[in-house]
Amino acid sequence: MQENPPLKRTVFSETAFSKIALILSELLKRSQARLVVFADMNGYPIVHRGDIKAQSLSTLTALAAGSFAASGEIARLINNESRFRFIYQEGGVYHTYTCSVGEDYFLIVLFEKQVALGLIRLLTHQALLRISSYIKELQQSTERAKSFLDYEFRDVLSRQLDDKLKTRSGS
Amino acid sequence: MYVDWHRQEIIFKIIYYGPGLGGKTTNLEYLYRQLDPSIRGELITLKTREERTLFFDFMELDMGRINGKKPRFQLYTIPGQALYQHSRRILLRGADAVVFVADSQASRLADNLNTLVDLEEKLISLRRTLARFPWVLQYNKRDLPDIVSIDRLQQSLNFLQVPAYQAVASRGVGVIETLKGVINLLLQA
Repeated sequence: MQENPPLKRTVFSETAFSKIALILSELLKRSQARLVVFADMNGYPIVHRGDIKAQSLSTLTALAAGSFAASGEIARLINNESRFRFIYQEGGVYHTYTCSVGEDYFLIVLFEKQVALGLIRLLTHQALLRISSYIKELQQSTERAKSFLDYEFRDVLSRQLDDKLKTRSGS
Repeated sequence: MYVDWHRQEIIFKIIYYGPGLGGKTTNLEYLYRQLDPSIRGELITLKTREERTLFFDFMELDMGRINGKKPRFQLYTIPGQALYQHSRRILLRGADAVVFVADSQASRLADNLNTLVDLEEKLISLRRTLARFPWVLQYNKRDLPDIVSIDRLQQSLNFLQVPAYQAVASRGVGVIETLKGVINLLLQA
């Protein structure tokens, strides 16, 4: 490798996190949804409210980001739009409503079939308008990311890889 | 990479890239089987009816707390078939590092090179380039009879002299070493 690469770093401030968490709490309560998640288009879960295991949350947002990306390609093929604004999935017990928040983020709402889709759409739209106003505050400077990835952390993680990535057979 | 100051988490996205049927999914399947369930999530695979990767495979590694911080690594494979050009570009967005899984068989040499060129094209479209991006090579299927020598593979594919690992992913040989190698490279970046 010739030189260190310029990695894209996305960092979220404590303030923006708290503001969005509050909006999601209100959305969860008013919509009677089971789960609401704010995530980025790379599939990283940023803030969520409702019960879900951390690893299931990551998988959910990775799949939703993939689904959004695929729908964007469909939109491009048929409409020349950048992407559809929302995706609705209807299940036997739960439905999901996923909508984009600007170009880089999306919101997922998981709700029971007894809850009207219209209500979910209305409340989600209100929430995303409020979240949109905080988007600019979300992305912090590269310097803060560098301070998170300090030398000591990199060094300890690097040294612990052998132990962490040990296989069941011990190799 | 995504840093969450509130939870003190950092999430990295690592992509397994390479020609179709080269062994990308096999790498993840081995990691899923062999790593302690406490550090890895479920292996999600989106396959066609012919068992080929349709959109991507996904698995997350959670290393626990280190110095109060929690690193997590999201591993994705990308479908190798030419049909899925758009999926590859989409999944490369936001990638922090790539493992290029090359097929060592002589008959696949051109496919390896074409796919590497495809990777560079996709990176350029995302305003990045292999020359300034953390990536490693894995020469897979070293147990098959009609394989190309490591020297020739290095000459053909490793023109940027990135770390390279020999592997037989179906038996787990070289899989963990490759993963450790790419994570170490990522941490230096």
